[in-house]
Amino acid sequence: MSFDVDYFRALETPRLARLGPNVVAAAFPLMKLMPARFILDQAEKSGELKAGAHIVETTSGTFGMAVALLAAARGFQLTLVTAATLIDRAYQERLERLGAKVVALADERGDGNQTGRLAHLRAVMENEPDTFWTRQYDSPGNWQSYARLAELFVRSVGQVDWLVGCIGTGGSLCGTGTFLRQVYPHLKIAAVDTHRSVLFGQPLGKRMLRGLGNSVIPANVRHHLVDEVHWVGAYAAYHSAHSLFRNQGIFMGPTSGAAGLVGEWIGRTNPDSVVAVIMPDEGHRHSNTVYDDKWLAALPGWPCAPVRGPETLVTIEPRDEWEWTRFAWSRRLLDEVPRPVATS
Amino acid sequence: MADAGDDRRLGLGTLADGHAIAHHGELLQGVFEDDHGRFHRGLVTLPIDSLRSTAWIVLDESGDFCVEPPSRVKALRAAQLALAHLGYPSLGGRLKIESDIPVGHGYGSSTADVIASVRAVAAALGARLLPSTSSRLAVAAEVASDAIAFETEALLFAQREGGVLEHFGGSLPPFVLVGFKGDTTARIDTLELVPARYSREEIQLFRVLRAMVARSVHYQDAHLLGQAATMSARISQRHLPKPYFDVVVDIAAHYQAYGIQVAHSGSLFGLMLDAKSASRETIHTIIAALGDRGFQDIGIFPINVEEGTHVL
Repeated sequence: MSFDVDYFRALETPRLARLGPNVVAAAFPLMKLMPARFILDQAEKSGELKAGAHIVETTSGTFGMAVALLAAARGFQLTLVTAATLIDRAYQERLERLGAKVVALADERGDGNQTGRLAHLRAVMENEPDTFWTRQYDSPGNWQSYARLAELFVRSVGQVDWLVGCIGTGGSLCGTGTFLRQVYPHLKIAAVDTHRSVLFGQPLGKRMLRGLGNSVIPANVRHHLVDEVHWVGAYAAYHSAHSLFRNQGIFMGPTSGAAGLVGEWIGRTNPDSVVAVIMPDEGHRHSNTVYDDKWLAALPGWPCAPVRGPETLVTIEPRDEWEWTRFAWSRRLLDEVPRPVATS
Repeated sequence: MADAGDDRRLGLGTLADGHAIAHHGELLQGVFEDDHGRFHRGLVTLPIDSLRSTAWIVLDESGDFCVEPPSRVKALRAAQLALAHLGYPSLGGRLKIESDIPVGHGYGSSTADVIASVRAVAAALGARLLPSTSSRLAVAAEVASDAIAFETEALLFAQREGGVLEHFGGSLPPFVLVGFKGDTTARIDTLELVPARYSREEIQLFRVLRAMVARSVHYQDAHLLGQAATMSARISQRHLPKPYFDVVVDIAAHYQAYGIQVAHSGSLFGLMLDAKSASRETIHTIIAALGDRGFQDIGIFPINVEEGTHVL
């Protein structure tokens, strides 16, 4: 769409893959570059982010990597605050090689210590008034940036009837969905979550599938946009990622596997609809885990048979990692949906 | 001092003409990113080649310029700019504009006069101007302009700079436009309007609308173009509301129009109808319905429909 050279714009642009006759997936190398670049661009333009300033964020995921790449290329300092339980050595080293300062706080409760991370971040900001916090959980720039993805879907497939995507901060799915639904009001949106994520009313628990779901509810998750929720277990997602690679040559991470699984199923069950799927990152980061037979063999309950379709839930409840469930959310707010009794 | 040979070569004393077409407002108007990440106000014009402006010019060495009717000062300024651009700033002449484009209703009458004048000057001097050059001269003559120098080529045009943000690579897909006005007493001077302050979300949404127009041209999909035009009209409604917009929305839905198109800074509406299925009967039913609701100056414009094949 552009004849100008821009490495990061190219890197944030997904390749489109056909997963079925009526299913198209946007396979991103590093999806979080899209919100990261947009948020930094806007902040630089408004003067909120000054040349050489210090950027902070609490993340251990791919948004941190995206900001680190941009900070390195644009000459910003960066501090990423995470929890010791959430980051692996190789990833931390890669961020540090990019010049980022990674603060991994102790996490004795094993819940990610979000409270401690936010307190640390606020302390940094108080000491340095020019510090810029990217705020991927609640910055409108996060979801607004995904107009580029909506644009890409429209240029390549035209009308979209179903949008399927993972949900973590809510940015990609709610953003792409907001823009597509303004031009296609009939658009249905399926959110892909995982068991024991609190985003759609499951009780908090340990999530095996990293990078999907959340233990807190970001403001960028806008429940009333969502028609149905799918909770995909880690093992179901691993199987789907393996199948995408083995059968279609598409090397993606397990959360992309979960999105692909749901997208293919929605395409099969709605053969007259055009289904667009968002797949957020590639498989490289997972080559020592999800794509490593030894690592897999050590998992409790692995190997297991791949699951072919979701079980439709009447009451929201967590399931085992090989399972895949589905619930008619029907564009309700979180408070409007009856939830299981809290297990705290 | 030019001798008689120069006079002939420069077309001094002989009558030359230039033409330019009208438009029916815009299919899309908003703010758009260029290739370098900078944002510009831009639009996709809906050209109407059945209405046009003609400029007649006779150049002389007087250095003085006059225009008829005298109100067409922008056309006069454009003629002078064109002369300067072509290297004859000291020539003068007489310019006459004859146009069947109504003024003040978003048909682009002013730009058509300006482009026709620029073309008449070029014709008088035996020169050829590219559409982009004519557009830049038009912008210089009247602050903002539209894309009619490009005739019926579909493009995203930066109206304040006179540049092209995107060539969509063809003409618009075929459809039948039923154009009308909500309020014929309202005359709008485009340049007096305060430009819309679009929100960040709207500017992002314009990316999607631009993509829809690009695809609609590539696949000649008038339905998709209608969806984009309708959304652009809805956004425009938030900034410069037109009376009776909701009535038009209802009529469009009732008659299954592909979309609603508006002159974003004028008083025109258009219903976009499928060129294949729009029969004489349905169009007349729609015209009757529009008339019943008080809409005026109803016109039928086949857009890129093959002549002789249409029911009209």
